[in-house]
Amino acid sequence: MLAIAIVAIVSVAVIGGVWYYTTFAPEEKVLKVFCAGSLTLPFEDIEAQFEADYPNVDVQFEPAGSVACVQKITESGEECDVLALADYNLIPSMMMTTESNYADWYIIFAVNRMTLAYTDNSKYADEITADNWYEILRRSDVKWGFSDPNLDPCGYRSPMVIQLAEHEYGDDMIFEDLIEANCAITVSEEAGTYLIDANMTDLNPNTDRLTIREKSVELVTFVQEGGLDYAFEYSSVAKQHGLKYLELPVTIDLSSTDCENIYKTVKIEKTTTTSTGEPIVYGLTIPKNAPNPTLAEEFVKYIINESGQTIMSNSGQPPVVPAVTNDISKIPESLKKYVVQ
Amino acid sequence: MATKKALTGVKRHSLSLIFLFVGSLLILFTMLTLFNMIFRQIVFDTEGLLEAAVDPVVVKSIVLTLYCSFLATVIAALLGTPLAYVLARHDFIGKSVVESVIDVPVIIPHSVAGIALYALFMSRSPVGEAFSNIGIVFEDSMWGIVVAMLFVSAPFYVNAAREGFQSINPRLERVARTLGASQWKSFYKITLPLSVRHLFSGAVMAWARGISEFGAVIMIAFYPMIAPVLIFYRFTTHGLAGSQPIAVLLILICICIFIILRASAKYWEKKK
Amino acid sequence: MITLENVSHEWDDFSLKNVSFSVNKGEHFIILGPTAAGKTLILETIAGFYVPREGKILLNGKDITHIPPEKRNIGFVYQDYSLFPHMPIKENVAFGLNMQKLPKAEVEAKVQEIMESMGISYLQNRLPSTLSGGEQQRVALARSLVIDPEILLLDEPLSALDPRTRETLREELKRIHEVRGTTTIHVTHDQDEALALADRIGVIMDGELVQVDESYRVFNEPATEEIATFVGVENVIEGKIISNQDGVVVVETGKYQIRALSNLEEGEVNVFIRPENIILSKVKLESSARNRVSGKISRISQFGATFRIYMDNGLSALVTKQAIEELGLKVGEKVYASFKATAIHLIKR
Repeated sequence: MLAIAIVAIVSVAVIGGVWYYTTFAPEEKVLKVFCAGSLTLPFEDIEAQFEADYPNVDVQFEPAGSVACVQKITESGEECDVLALADYNLIPSMMMTTESNYADWYIIFAVNRMTLAYTDNSKYADEITADNWYEILRRSDVKWGFSDPNLDPCGYRSPMVIQLAEHEYGDDMIFEDLIEANCAITVSEEAGTYLIDANMTDLNPNTDRLTIREKSVELVTFVQEGGLDYAFEYSSVAKQHGLKYLELPVTIDLSSTDCENIYKTVKIEKTTTTSTGEPIVYGLTIPKNAPNPTLAEEFVKYIINESGQTIMSNSGQPPVVPAVTNDISKIPESLKKYVVQ
Repeated sequence: MATKKALTGVKRHSLSLIFLFVGSLLILFTMLTLFNMIFRQIVFDTEGLLEAAVDPVVVKSIVLTLYCSFLATVIAALLGTPLAYVLARHDFIGKSVVESVIDVPVIIPHSVAGIALYALFMSRSPVGEAFSNIGIVFEDSMWGIVVAMLFVSAPFYVNAAREGFQSINPRLERVARTLGASQWKSFYKITLPLSVRHLFSGAVMAWARGISEFGAVIMIAFYPMIAPVLIFYRFTTHGLAGSQPIAVLLILICICIFIILRASAKYWEKKK
Repeated sequence: MITLENVSHEWDDFSLKNVSFSVNKGEHFIILGPTAAGKTLILETIAGFYVPREGKILLNGKDITHIPPEKRNIGFVYQDYSLFPHMPIKENVAFGLNMQKLPKAEVEAKVQEIMESMGISYLQNRLPSTLSGGEQQRVALARSLVIDPEILLLDEPLSALDPRTRETLREELKRIHEVRGTTTIHVTHDQDEALALADRIGVIMDGELVQVDESYRVFNEPATEEIATFVGVENVIEGKIISNQDGVVVVETGKYQIRALSNLEEGEVNVFIRPENIILSKVKLESSARNRVSGKISRISQFGATFRIYMDNGLSALVTKQAIEELGLKVGEKVYASFKATAIHLIKR
């Protein structure tokens, strides 16, 4: 009896082992990419093109919130070949310091815009416009949300949009009514600059009205299901998931380099760093400890070349053409011709 | 007349009936949660489910999940059975410490467990290096998955095995020895057959627990993607519509396997 | 055949203190003691599950103290029979023979033979859980006896049975012992059992072996007061020896004098008389009994099928219901208690 059991177990173990080693063939080279969640879809298209030319390479994406991506490298000691984030600023502030030196350069390759995502089933969907959205969010039967400012750049940009709205619409109660009344985040003003305080571990949202989640894509699901009426999302995310989205005035949606000076008036203090309002810019780098730097350079080419730019554009994340870098002297040789300073 | 009979019957069994009612709320809770998702998937998005069922990436992922948990369970049984026996039969200084240590993986947040495992088994650590010398790498490999699953599922096996051994009167083992059986023969011919039911139940629990592990696995081995990781990834890229079919498929497959396992266990019991 | 020499060991609730005794080949030796955790532990030590902290165990002259149980060829029957629940009776009985790796035919023959002789052949394909207490007992015995053990150890074999089955099996044990002649060490707290089956009795109290003697002597000549109380010698009277002539002593109790047989010359003594050795009568009996004491009945109590008559002179006797009716015994009646000098046991105080 026991003998039969042992034979059965050993056979399953061996057969499984053979199946594993044939199916997950490790002879392929692995290119590891840590990327922001919102980049996964367009990057999969880029991966398809790349793997067509490099069939022996398996590109593996590990999507996570941008800050989490960086922390995997700087704190957990993990390695990747390409790092692509929804906030290019995280690279210099967290990876190019004296204590934490994991990168020498970065490339800005796309932008995004903050919008309000919703569906036909959202409350007052037929009423909402770029002029009245904040009034609608004030209504007591409306449920809305944004992602965690301390984990997701989309999250810390949302309160910024709301604060910038006060000046745009001439209504200085918007932040108080929408943010301060519904969670622990506050704002203070000094000499024309607004400092939003989200430096706390428990944001304590009033869950009847406001939902805060780690990743903005979770909010997408809630909006699709009908559990949430409105969520602050990047236009790319809303588009990729088939949601309707409200285009906000360019002075508040963090999308245009022309409005940089306006965006600068808002800052937000998080548990890690303090960020100043800036256009939403996607940045990438090849970390200094990348296992396959040469192959990584090849992949980056496919992101910032013409076909890559087309793919980014089609997914609602307008590319920066040509890609821009902070320090062209530090860029790897093979990439130099794709970027400007 | 019949009503009177029925009423006396109800009164006589009133405890059981009340317990049945209260208990059914819990079952209802679990069933509704699952059925709601499964039903919606099957009825409103049959296509999605069928697509997932024939998608090679999905199929490979599910098979990998089942297989890795199987390996983890085998290791847990090989190492855990002797441990459980010692704990069942002997008292020693520090025994409560040992028993608590065994249960710790159940309390630890899964991501913490994952980081701890990664720190121990990554190629650059002494342990990881030693293993890589014999060709075993843990990061992003089946071994990492197995190790993470083993960590979280071992307590379930050990506890079930220990209770199984405790339920066997040591006198049976002693009588066997007076009849000429060595300690090994006594264990093999008396203890083991009598505890097989508990060991099997513990193994099924451990296997089930391993399949569902996400937080610990994702730290040490995002790739190759086991089903929970694939579901998460598809959720990131395609939201609920992309991930729910895989989840439902996994649940249906696991339910079938459970039914088969429990039915065959009953069959073996009856045969005796 | 088996000897314990100065065996001492400690457990949580019980300890063996310097236990020494020998059991001869073919003897049925009973360890008698009050109900306590200890008796099973003694047998388990003899069987080899504990290595005594001090002392030796010798089997046929060979020191087996450190030999593991499976090599000692000692049969063991627990109080709860401990039949292997997952094997049918036949397999249970055959277990020890299978461990010896005997050829299948031989095992089969031996198993059938012993099952026949114990009258359990009809049970051979059943599972232990379906058997009655008496049936399980027989199977447990068969299982241990079939391997022809040097010694058979029995742990309160009859305690878990109802009174009728107990009597039947007691006779069975006696018969088996007579037929097979297996050396047996048997622990119990039941004195009737001990009296019926034992060749010799070892009385154990508090982990010490306090008396080892032929059964009759243990009950009629208990070595200490504690033993006397345990074995049920009810009449204990204080007295002083006033004379001793040719082994016949006279003891003065203050109320009356008692004649007994003893070597004691003088001194304070306790006088022990078993109640069943006292004969009651309404008139002075002329008999060979040297002692006759009169008194009034102070109490009559019933113990099962017998009655105990308590007298105001401190003596008590056991009588049947018939005797009470025939003698017309009632509280307050005057009666004479007669008992032989040989029924008296003296212990120096």
